[in-house]
Amino acid sequence: MKKALIILAAVGLTLQSGCGKKTEQNPGTKGKVTITFWHSFVSSTVPALDTLIATFERENPKIVINAQYVPTGDALVQKLITSVQSNTAPDISWIHSDFLQYLVEANAIYPMKTFIDGHDSLTAEDMTDIYPPLLQAASWRGTLYSMPMEATDLAIIYNKDMFRKVGLNPERGPQTWQELVDYAKKLTVKVGDSRQIGFFVPVYPAAGPLGAWMEWQWMPFLWQGGGDVINPSQTQILVDNPGGVQSLALWKQIYNFQDQSRFTVDYDAAFVSQQVAMILDGPWDLPRYQKILTNFNWGVVPLPAGPAGRATIMGGEYLAIFRQTKYPQQAWTFVKWLLRPEVQALWSMKSGYLPVRRAVMNLKGYQEFLKAHPRFAVYVNELKYGRSPRSIDYSGLEITRNIAEAIEKATLGNSDPKKALDVAAENSNKLLQAGGGN
Amino acid sequence: MNLRPNMEKRGKRSDGRSAFFFLLPTLVIFSAFILIPVVFSFFLSFQKWNMFSQTTRYVGFDNYLRALSSADFWAVLKNTFVYTLGTVPLNMLLSLGAAMLISKKIAGKKFLRTAFFAPVVVSPVAAAVIWRWIYEPNFGILNYVLHFFGVPAINWLNDPTAAMFALIVMGVWKTMGVNMVLFSAGLDGIPNQYYEAAEIDGAGPWRRFWRITLPLLAPTTFFILVMSMIGSFQVFDLVYVLTSGGPLGSTKVLVFYIYEEAFKYFDMGYASALAYVLFAIMFVLTLMQVKFMKKRVDFAV
Repeated sequence: MKKALIILAAVGLTLQSGCGKKTEQNPGTKGKVTITFWHSFVSSTVPALDTLIATFERENPKIVINAQYVPTGDALVQKLITSVQSNTAPDISWIHSDFLQYLVEANAIYPMKTFIDGHDSLTAEDMTDIYPPLLQAASWRGTLYSMPMEATDLAIIYNKDMFRKVGLNPERGPQTWQELVDYAKKLTVKVGDSRQIGFFVPVYPAAGPLGAWMEWQWMPFLWQGGGDVINPSQTQILVDNPGGVQSLALWKQIYNFQDQSRFTVDYDAAFVSQQVAMILDGPWDLPRYQKILTNFNWGVVPLPAGPAGRATIMGGEYLAIFRQTKYPQQAWTFVKWLLRPEVQALWSMKSGYLPVRRAVMNLKGYQEFLKAHPRFAVYVNELKYGRSPRSIDYSGLEITRNIAEAIEKATLGNSDPKKALDVAAENSNKLLQAGGGN
Repeated sequence: MNLRPNMEKRGKRSDGRSAFFFLLPTLVIFSAFILIPVVFSFFLSFQKWNMFSQTTRYVGFDNYLRALSSADFWAVLKNTFVYTLGTVPLNMLLSLGAAMLISKKIAGKKFLRTAFFAPVVVSPVAAAVIWRWIYEPNFGILNYVLHFFGVPAINWLNDPTAAMFALIVMGVWKTMGVNMVLFSAGLDGIPNQYYEAAEIDGAGPWRRFWRITLPLLAPTTFFILVMSMIGSFQVFDLVYVLTSGGPLGSTKVLVFYIYEEAFKYFDMGYASALAYVLFAIMFVLTLMQVKFMKKRVDFAV
């Protein structure tokens, strides 16, 4: 009955969204294989994706890529699961590393080893060239289940005019935590009727769609402070160790002296309307900012170093190949093609994402591109400090929520950072102990 | 009342069969989307299941006990009660007022009726976008107006106390149109002679309202009360789009909590148990209302 119900639900969903199309061979593509590819690229990235796919199809005339947009986040994992249960899964989909647990449990996706060691293999040199943190995030319990398509990281985007006005060097960002605090203090001023804050501490409702984003932005600070989320054997949550407490205390300090609970949570609008001097953001927003931010000078600087040195978070989206595909080998051909250095370079230059492998940096065209785009180059150069959160075997989504709640409690709720993180660790450790017992 | 024997004589078996076939489409849809899910989620409330695995595991009353012993559950329940206490009385007062207003022969009656009812048909997402701007701390029109009265800027959606208030206001705005129409129909059902007679007897507008309008509206009022309470216990979309349950979980209501447990953390058994707890609460509340109101409401009107 359960299966019947799921199918019913899936039929309902399909009718609603009108895109439960399974891979088909239509007349125009005789002798060709169509690979359905679900992604969540925003509309400004779609032209880059079209270029990419057109290039692939020119080089691989036997394969047609049918790219379909699906909403990301909670909606994506729901859609993937219903599609698997109702036999309408795509051939390839964009996934987040948090979903791996569920997709593997449902036996929905291929381990990458099947292809990497297959006849169309990836060499060991290729594999070691890919940033290891990305491969780690693409794995679940030590097995690689997906391949990174692009990388992202975080840096500080800042308003140079504001720096100049308060006497700061407009070409130099804060290098340490202490400097971040000093800069934020200097830049928090009253301008006429409205106020301006120095550094937007990314605090959002933990329960909302931005909760995971908040936790993600906190992680580089956690590492800069010498902390981590979980131990390597995945038996204990470590956020309440001194590194975590220090980094959350830093956020709380800045949040409080800026009186940020009375400030908007829309950091993007605040930066555009010149109410905030520094924001944390990824490279994907650069093309848009380049277009709209013409009325003031702005730049990008790396994240500051904490007591344990520099760190930024390296993220990305990962491609998984579904077991329901009729053409696993062709799907792999596309995934493998995407990992080629010159394709990674093309994709990076067109889309504003970062390449997933180091070899791209040696390509002449790419080096010239970085020279011409110094803001983007900051993000690329920062990759060497990039770390990825270890993908958590069980209850990753709940643990993310617990940590996000601690961040919100310590800042907006004005609780003690240590106490808030203790609660998060305690609740999360309980989940770890319950483990995979479904 | 001797119609009944006649009807029975006429009723043949074949009538029943053809009736069944006429009802079949509805029955299929009803079973697929209501009956089976209701039964299935009752079954699930005693299981542990994450939607992905092929098997469920029987856990007895664990899911129910977990709800009752979870601090989150009680916080969420409290929020739901606060929301209900905030919206229902305000909603009823305003919608009655609006209904009285548009029942009068006044200029712009049609416009007012449309204006009060429009929010009902606006999609919640679009409505939330409007209200986000109204509540915006720096440029929002609400703070702009309050500024003239010397009220300092309030960060409506980012302050645990203000956010619930903001949600209630939007909830009332969004749903009062339906109640206004119901009250309006109730008002139309009151014969004019009563008012004329009372007027001849020298009753003023207030007296007419208390002695005629209110008692004769009682069945409508009761119906609206029950429906509004159920509606406010089930509020989800407004929370989802306006505050996502934040800040600090201050606007996380029961149905939102159920949604999260089911479709964000895939704890289907626990979510089903919560849904049945919600059902039990509403059942008891409605029963209490019916018992209490029976004595006071004359349904014969």
